[in-house]
Amino acid sequence: MTRLIRSSALAWALGYVLMGLAALAAFAIPLWYAWNVTIFAGREELLRDDTQRLRSVFAHEGVEGLTAHINARVAMQIAGERTLLLTDARYRPLAGNLASWPRGVQSRPGTNAILADLPGQPARTLFIETLLPGDYHLLVGRDLARFVPLEQRFTWGLITAVTFLFVVGVLGAFLIRRALLARVQGIGQTVAAIMQGDLRHRLPVGGSEEFATLSRTLNGMLDHIEHLISGISNVSNSIAHDLRTPLAELRARLEEIALTRPPAAETFAEIEAAVADVDRVMRMFNALLRLAEIDSGARRSGFVRVDAAAVAAEVVEYYEPAAEQKGVVFSFETDGQASVTGDPVLLAQAVSNLIDNSLKCVAEHGAIRVRVGQRVDGAVEIAVADDGPGIPDADKPKATERFFRGDASRGTPGVGLGLSIVDAVARLHGGVLQLLDNHPGLRAQMVLPLAA
Amino acid sequence: MKILIVEDNERVARFVTRGLREAGHTVEHADNGRDGMFSAASEPYDVIVMDRMLPGNIDGLGIIAALRKSGNRTPILILSALNDVDERIRGLRSGGDDYLTKPFAFGELLARVDALGRRSVEGGAQRVLQVGDLHMDLLSRRVTRGSRTVTLQPREFKLLEYLMRHANQVVTRTMLLEAVWDYNFDPQTNVVDVHISKLRQKLELDAERPLLRTVRNAGYMMCEHD
Repeated sequence: MTRLIRSSALAWALGYVLMGLAALAAFAIPLWYAWNVTIFAGREELLRDDTQRLRSVFAHEGVEGLTAHINARVAMQIAGERTLLLTDARYRPLAGNLASWPRGVQSRPGTNAILADLPGQPARTLFIETLLPGDYHLLVGRDLARFVPLEQRFTWGLITAVTFLFVVGVLGAFLIRRALLARVQGIGQTVAAIMQGDLRHRLPVGGSEEFATLSRTLNGMLDHIEHLISGISNVSNSIAHDLRTPLAELRARLEEIALTRPPAAETFAEIEAAVADVDRVMRMFNALLRLAEIDSGARRSGFVRVDAAAVAAEVVEYYEPAAEQKGVVFSFETDGQASVTGDPVLLAQAVSNLIDNSLKCVAEHGAIRVRVGQRVDGAVEIAVADDGPGIPDADKPKATERFFRGDASRGTPGVGLGLSIVDAVARLHGGVLQLLDNHPGLRAQMVLPLAA
Repeated sequence: MKILIVEDNERVARFVTRGLREAGHTVEHADNGRDGMFSAASEPYDVIVMDRMLPGNIDGLGIIAALRKSGNRTPILILSALNDVDERIRGLRSGGDDYLTKPFAFGELLARVDALGRRSVEGGAQRVLQVGDLHMDLLSRRVTRGSRTVTLQPREFKLLEYLMRHANQVVTRTMLLEAVWDYNFDPQTNVVDVHISKLRQKLELDAERPLLRTVRNAGYMMCEHD
């Protein structure tokens, strides 16, 4: 039962039934009121007019005149149309068609409207009671029997309408609930299958437009999740693979020491090399963690307005002595229009990675040009161009993949995550990393949106 | 120096304790948060090395916050396996003075502990730094060696200032990166070495005695040679 009550479809349907009833009440109550007021007031006015006429007869012709008048009217009257009674001060009847003063009607000075039940009458009677000079009591009344059938019809109509509304509502609720449950259960079954690990399942798209839209949205979400998960498993595969290599070297090194027990000096040299191996693995870890941190988008919360030119200038200054040492011509230019919304540390790291790459690749006495400025289309461009070996077109799409190392970088230090990080930083900032041919060499440029 | 190590990993604690003792320091060790809190609050230390994640109902940052609240200003080096920039900021904001990510080279830890200990001894602002016959006037930004004026770029000045402030201590490349360039990522090429050798060329002309020593597997040290 609680399940039934908790069922949202049922709750909604019952809600609609209640709303229907409220609407019906809102319609019936004013009608009832207006009807009562109009009929009742009109009736009372007629009786008051009548009373007024009888009072003027009394005023002109005294109690005898009024008695005669009433008797004459009663004689002419169609039965039941009017109830008239004139009594003396002690409520003894003098004239009229009522045998005695009715119970439940009290006399007060002035003219009063009273509703009372008369014995033998099917309906209530409306009386106008008047105290005449000389303590004579005059009663002018009319029963409301004529309205009884109308009232009854109204009441029955109302009851029928309420019952109909209720039955239809509850029945509808059950039907809607059943239909909804069927659809929801369909979705639930698919989702359950997916939770058990089969991500290829999709919801059937069909039936009503609302459910089709819901199914399509959910399917879109599933596509995205499947894509992300396959991405993650690719990454973990490559991590497993790429960490295995240095770990295998490390293991071999240590095992060899344990097996061959070389002289102390050699042992210490090997241990130092082993520590360097560990450091290399740690660098890969750090780079991967940094990459994950960037990809998660969490760093976006710390975005501020950054002058990309100033950031790049600092990094250039940092690398200048190293370039000088290698005899590389290192230049920096900016047009000063380079405000972006972003993370200065990440941008510095990205620029640093690009310059680092170029510095590793260019030959001695080569050239590296760093340029920061606004493009024709308004975006900010941070470009690092060198005249090194460049990246062959075939490798360009793969160059930003994790752990990819092109032929040119063989034999140089690095773990193959530099460009992945630059790419991730560019994407985090709503931009892209482009790898272009510099004829000869590579022109790597981050294109970022200009800060508003 | 008297150093307190609060670290629950036995091997790391032993490695650090042994190393620091070998370097001539007095070392005490607590292996959980409660004991660490108790020792840190009841005895004076020159430096505290604090692991972030600790058993014993109170973690490293909690201890640091409690110590700082009670007016304890002992320099604290936070050890942590959390390497996010945000985590580092959170650690320093809670009252830590330096932050070192695990795993670390012992040389790095020793250099940072020395730097922190030295800071607690000296403290106050100086106007002139001096190592041998090398003088640095921090107000006029003039550097002289003997009677000779040494001309430096702003960044070189900052680098030299840091080295001189930490004279007779080992300063690691990472410390220089953080202090002089404000980079807490690791640029792959060892560009810091190139900056140092450029600085060295300006400081040490042919006939002059060397001042800036390279310490193998650790970093650099500014000192007057014997």
